[in-house]
Amino acid sequence: MASFQSIMKKYPSLLVILLNFQTLLALYEDQVGKFDWKRSFIGKVKYAHFDASRIIVGTEENIIASLNMKNGNILWRQLMENPKEQQLMLLHSDRDLLSVSGTMNNWFVRTWDHQTGTLLSEWTIFSDKNIPSVFTVEKGTLLHIFPTQNSHLDVVTYNLDGNNQKNTIKIPAPWITDISNCVLSKSYYICISKNDISGQLYYVNILSEKPKVYIKTLHSVLGDTPDLIEILPFEDIFPAFLLSSNGQAKVIHVDEDVVNTKIFKVMPNAVSNHNGEKPFIYQLEPASNPDKLVQIRVKDYATCQDEMATELEYPVGLGAPIIIATATKNTLTDVLLSTTDNAFMLVRLSDGKIMWTREEALSNIIAVEFFELPVSELDASIENEFKASSNSILSMLSHRLNTQAKQLSTLIFGEHPMSSSGLVRDAFGLHKLIVVATSVGKLFAIDTLSGSIVWSYRLPNVKPFSILGEDKILLFAQRTARYAPLPAQCILIANDKYSGNGVIFQFDPITGYSQKGIEKLNYQIAQAIHLPYEDDQHLKPVLMISSTNEVYLYPSCAMGEVYKYTSKLYTYLVDNTGSFKGYSFIHSTKDKLKMTPSWELQLQPAKLVAVKTKHPNERVHSQGRVLPDRSVYYKYVNPNLIAVATVSDDPVHKHVLSVYLIDGVTGLILYATSHKRSRGPIHLVHSENWIVYSYFNERFRRTEFAAAELYEGHVQSNSSVFSSFAVSLLPHVQTQSYILPATPLSVTVTLTERGITNKFLLAGLSGGGVIEIPWLLLQPRLNDIPCSPEESCIPYMPEIPLPSEAVINYNQTIGRIDGIEVAPARLESTSHILVHGIDLFYTKVAPSKTFDMLKEDFDHMMIILVLTGLVISSYLTKYLASKKALKQMWK
Amino acid sequence: MLCYLSAFLVISLNVQKSYSSNIEYDGSVTIRLQHALVASEDPVFTDRGNVTVHSLRLGQATINQRPLSPDEQLQLRDLAAKNHFYQLKSIVTANDGSQKTFLSTVKACMLAESELDDRLSVSIDYMGRVIAVTSIIASKSTCEGAVVSLEKLKHFTTSVYVRHTEPGPIPDTASYIQKLEREREAKEKGEVKDNRSFLAKYWMYIVPLVIIMVVSSATNPDAQQGSQ
Repeated sequence: MASFQSIMKKYPSLLVILLNFQTLLALYEDQVGKFDWKRSFIGKVKYAHFDASRIIVGTEENIIASLNMKNGNILWRQLMENPKEQQLMLLHSDRDLLSVSGTMNNWFVRTWDHQTGTLLSEWTIFSDKNIPSVFTVEKGTLLHIFPTQNSHLDVVTYNLDGNNQKNTIKIPAPWITDISNCVLSKSYYICISKNDISGQLYYVNILSEKPKVYIKTLHSVLGDTPDLIEILPFEDIFPAFLLSSNGQAKVIHVDEDVVNTKIFKVMPNAVSNHNGEKPFIYQLEPASNPDKLVQIRVKDYATCQDEMATELEYPVGLGAPIIIATATKNTLTDVLLSTTDNAFMLVRLSDGKIMWTREEALSNIIAVEFFELPVSELDASIENEFKASSNSILSMLSHRLNTQAKQLSTLIFGEHPMSSSGLVRDAFGLHKLIVVATSVGKLFAIDTLSGSIVWSYRLPNVKPFSILGEDKILLFAQRTARYAPLPAQCILIANDKYSGNGVIFQFDPITGYSQKGIEKLNYQIAQAIHLPYEDDQHLKPVLMISSTNEVYLYPSCAMGEVYKYTSKLYTYLVDNTGSFKGYSFIHSTKDKLKMTPSWELQLQPAKLVAVKTKHPNERVHSQGRVLPDRSVYYKYVNPNLIAVATVSDDPVHKHVLSVYLIDGVTGLILYATSHKRSRGPIHLVHSENWIVYSYFNERFRRTEFAAAELYEGHVQSNSSVFSSFAVSLLPHVQTQSYILPATPLSVTVTLTERGITNKFLLAGLSGGGVIEIPWLLLQPRLNDIPCSPEESCIPYMPEIPLPSEAVINYNQTIGRIDGIEVAPARLESTSHILVHGIDLFYTKVAPSKTFDMLKEDFDHMMIILVLTGLVISSYLTKYLASKKALKQMWK
Repeated sequence: MLCYLSAFLVISLNVQKSYSSNIEYDGSVTIRLQHALVASEDPVFTDRGNVTVHSLRLGQATINQRPLSPDEQLQLRDLAAKNHFYQLKSIVTANDGSQKTFLSTVKACMLAESELDDRLSVSIDYMGRVIAVTSIIASKSTCEGAVVSLEKLKHFTTSVYVRHTEPGPIPDTASYIQKLEREREAKEKGEVKDNRSFLAKYWMYIVPLVIIMVVSSATNPDAQQGSQ
């Protein structure tokens, strides 16, 4: 009895613990990497150095890293400050690795260990001059040069031998006309005064005792050239630069008064290599062989004669390359190339073989769409049989015999892969294809199972839209792979880099094949809407609104279908100034869609920071919340609801955050709230009948989460149809707020196919973890209703607990999380998650656990044995019992 | 229908009451209402009336609207019969003389069916600036065109609701700390007294025991019979 009592004492606390932790999922050690994968990137490479069997790189993402020369894998990687504010200015490889990164007047100088990437030392440079400056390392000193136009050069030297002794010199330089006409090579600062032959060449050795400015005419250096002259840097062991004109360049060496022009002409992308026995110059040029794209020409450094030209096995999809670095070891020469689409590759000469390629475009993903895979050929043929397309008896018979023969052959010989890629739909929709668009305009399709790239497509001259300060490209799934034999179809909408007009690109997301290629539009896009109606080809049309409020439909043949719905079609346009306008399409005609303004909001002088609608595929399973007294509190589920957040500057409260819930059809503000002394970054999540937003509270200096939930009340006004025009009751709003003891970078909510599963919020934190927060923890508690574990309600806690078991990426830190994308699997319990930032992380989450799936360690053998055992034993006992009964009868 | 309307009213009034003293500076606004009674891409707005909100804080308003002329009544009936939109333009003049124009749209048939009983929702931000003026009809369902007799389409009975921006929730740390404090004190005082009866406490042990006893007593006589 004593033991019973002790259990009794523990029982209530046990219940609480169970209730609190039932929603948490953690991974077992042997499950690591089973449902998830991570790919790490470094960004577009800016600087590269060879170092033994490693490559040290510095990138435009303000990252330095070391790559394995054999396969391009990252050995170590160090993320420095946010690249939007700070940029890498210098990467110098000596005994230690030296990096300088910073803003216009604030820099970090850091030294790193080559081997491990450990930070050895760090000090800062500050300057009050607001002009662009350059850094270089020469003879053990760090030179920091500020060129002031038409005036002088300020040079600050720092000794790098430990005491960082500072020394400032000023060199009068009224000849600096334009900074783009100047280069720094070793300790020489070299400028040209004009971009044609009448210009002068000025150069000065900064490190000499008494800096003397040398002046030469360009004519004396180059001879006669009628073309435009440009000055370009040239990596060499002597002070050198390139003077380029008409696509050809000359290498010029300077040494005090001597200007030595190399008589040969090179391409402007040439580099020199002094590692080998004999120095060479390498340059890239278009291949002479029409089958190949690029060749590397090698020239003798001394004699300037062509040594050889190697054609590269250059893949078709990549952009134009430039040489970043070269190195020679024994007889092999390695060349590192960086392309316009941010790829980075190692080419080994002399055979021109590409050893490896890193697709660094993936470090900057701006649009993601998940696609279901097509059914296998056999399944498709069975499905076709039931379609009304074949109507004669004979053809149906032959079709039936054909498919059955195929079925038989697969039964005997096993399933043969439908296509070479083997991308076939599985039963639970767990195998999908992720199509991502990157900021350089390159598309990738990634397999969710392996994380490998299935196809990629480079869209030249494409620029993302800037929506509320974020770069965005739009991807819409017009047709999924469900409608075999019609292929899946996806559309990408972006801007043209030069004209600023819209471009659309229609493609098959499974194969990457595009029938039409890039289509340029002759208008700018202000808004694009993916309509929920299908035309006879099962295509969901996309409506595009130009900046002059003209409406276009893609494909335009869907006009007839869309016209039927114009009385129910509404849209809104937002601009950064705070004007928010709603439009209807009521005055459209059969051949032209027309927008008519229907409502207007004026949020000025507040600045819009976030606009969120619900996910179009979201379903609300439960119409209400059951209260402890068995009554139902009905949810206010308005599909037209738009959540808007604005931040305004205020003289008293510094910043005021306002959040509005607006009906998109009537423009009625259903709920408005304001947080004083609160500012961004704002992360807004909108789902079902609730919103959650995070903001920074300036008063308490912490990040807070606020949740607002809308209810209709105890009676549902109209259970069959919802209309925004029929406002019988304003929704009741329940709110609550919480402290988040972390800094979120991106917040989203899980999405499942039927909406039965509980909702989890996924927050990407600045530390690199993605944490799942059950919506139950954030759901506003009703005031007058008790909240206890018996009511399946977690009592209010002002601080959101962040247990480490709730980190879905366990110890796999994701660098600089940009966004979290969610897609439902066909299994109700599961959502696909793709987290993107510098790294790419994919996993599956099951907020209510995998209630619709057997555990993977489920013992099938055991259950079969138990069942057969039970059947046998029941027959056995029946036999024995009858035997016993017979015996008893005889007694 | 009426009961819903009154429900709406009650809720709106409640809402008003609870937010009434949130804005920092009280002010008054005048709203000039214009409407378009002919469906067109470029609607022509004619005057409908004026609304003066004397105090944004209290939400009191004077409404001055002229009755519709027979021509306008016909136009409105036509609009309702064809299931077009009735558009309302509100020109808001604030205390400082600044003007803002808002547009709002309702279904004409709903306006006609409600016999020109509409509600004007004037939303203001935390500073008391008007951010939206929206016309709504209190109804449970929409219509797809309706013919309403002309005499019912004469006088607008408009109610104006000034809707404030609620102050956002703040994390309630004080009461949570109090709660923890209370729990700690209770713990210090000793075990929490369990007031439930013996049966309520231990039913989960008693029930299986009883079942086992019942089952065993049910089988025992058989066994005894068998042994006999």
